Amino acid sequence: MSTIQVEGLKKYYGRHRGLESATFEVNQGEIFGFVGPNGAGKTTLIRLLLGLIHKTGGTATIFDHDIEVNNALLNKSIGYLPSEAFFFPEMSVQGVLEFYQKMRKIDSTKVAEMTKRFELDPTKKVEELSFGNKKKLGIVIALMHEPKLLILDEPTTGLDPLMQQIFLDTLLEEKKKGVTIFLSSHILSEVEKICDRVAIIRDGVVNQVFEMNSVKQFEHKVVYLQPPVLDSKIQGLKLVSEANGNGTYDYHGNIDFLIKELAKYSLTNVTIRDASLEEIFIKYYQKEVL
Amino acid sequence: MKIFSKELFKLEFKRSFKGLLTWSLSIGLTMVFVIVLYPMVKDIYSSIPAQYADFLDSFGGIPHNILEYFATEGGLMLQLFGSIFAVLEGFNAINRDEREKTVESLYQLPYTRSLFFRTKLLRVFTNVLIFAFINYILSYISFFIVKESIDFGQFSYFNLLNMIQLVIIAFLGFGLACFLKPNQKNMIAFSIPFPLYIISVLSTMTNNATLEKLKYLTPFTFSNPVDILKSSATFEWISFVVFCSLTVVVIFLSYIRFNKREFMV
Repeated sequence: MSTIQVEGLKKYYGRHRGLESATFEVNQGEIFGFVGPNGAGKTTLIRLLLGLIHKTGGTATIFDHDIEVNNALLNKSIGYLPSEAFFFPEMSVQGVLEFYQKMRKIDSTKVAEMTKRFELDPTKKVEELSFGNKKKLGIVIALMHEPKLLILDEPTTGLDPLMQQIFLDTLLEEKKKGVTIFLSSHILSEVEKICDRVAIIRDGVVNQVFEMNSVKQFEHKVVYLQPPVLDSKIQGLKLVSEANGNGTYDYHGNIDFLIKELAKYSLTNVTIRDASLEEIFIKYYQKEVL
Repeated sequence: MKIFSKELFKLEFKRSFKGLLTWSLSIGLTMVFVIVLYPMVKDIYSSIPAQYADFLDSFGGIPHNILEYFATEGGLMLQLFGSIFAVLEGFNAINRDEREKTVESLYQLPYTRSLFFRTKLLRVFTNVLIFAFINYILSYISFFIVKESIDFGQFSYFNLLNMIQLVIIAFLGFGLACFLKPNQKNMIAFSIPFPLYIISVLSTMTNNATLEKLKYLTPFTFSNPVDILKSSATFEWISFVVFCSLTVVVIFLSYIRFNKREFMV
């Protein structure tokens, strides 16, 4: 059963593209990752789903209800965390939480528990909070009414590693309760850890959904060598480009093996990094095309 | 049907309270200052040369008692500055959420846009009422301070009409924000009271019969303090009906517009 169904969803702001075309489904109880570079249309898609803006074309449903601007009833079942959580700056954290608690007509038990878990100081004013603490306040507000669907836009940005872990654990707990989670992110490790499936958005287009397992096989390292080793026989190391005395390689395999093999060459500089999510998806696409 | 959200009203009121208090007290205390100066300045009026007296006629003429003095010196100021406050109240009720980017956090709540609209409108109305009341009370107290008796009914009548005019300006500002794209500078709201005030002044100053008719195109006419407190002119019901009707139409159209509004951050 699908919680979210999107078919050819499109949004233009006048002549400017917000979202070219999005087609995907999010199943009930799954964690669905939605990744792409800045400006690709992630936030536009989320705002369309939340009924904050009008679509230009296509269809989208949440819990089998067509999404439209002003869908108050749907909001009852949705918890939303914006990428930058803005609240009423002159109010205290406690004041903001009480406002949302009263508006959602819920008791304070869950709020108190979440506030404690995310180490929020209720006495502080919102304007005194750091970006990360504002995010934590946003998380508590998104979760306080125990929604059936969570829509999270870049949820871990600004959180310290410990808090990121607490947050990801919380999401897994919510998943166990049957909550559907739709999250946008550009952090592979976070998507990898918790998502069941993932879709990528590029230039406003979402048309393919990947099982997380199938994406993992494309994980690799990007290696920069100076000078380039053009006659490399190192297993798993493949030259991608060579320019200005530098060689760029993709490497699939054991890192310890690679370092030992590279030690046999006379190199002035070596850089090894994880391939970015986008690079991995490009590889995936290339394979699909081939 | 729920008319308004008590919690949202409380939030909005709390958030606007400091501004409301600042505006009310600063203009209210200006009124106090103007009134308490009367015993010191009343003699000056009798010594004004005739050529200046003619010029002053365009701005209410020479006052002969404290209420007339209030009309020419305080009332006109209250009208103009009060309108600036009112239009900002109305405009910011819509614009502030978008400007401060709280719009996403607020409209994720399970309430219809209509409820938000009605609650915000009610809050604007309440604030304008409080503003007008504080000014009314402070002015009234000031008349006692200088030990001058006034026609209470006439003074209250002016304040009532002035309050209606402020509500009209506030609602027009509210409507303007609904029709403009998000994240506009609130200075744009001044485009409502300033031209209307200038039209009002022009229609008073001119001797041209056609230009005089401009007075029907401004709400400052039916609440003109000089007409009410000094000239005891007949009630300018055309200006009143025109602007009450216009406000009803603007609010109705804004309601439709707001329900379809795209919230941008």
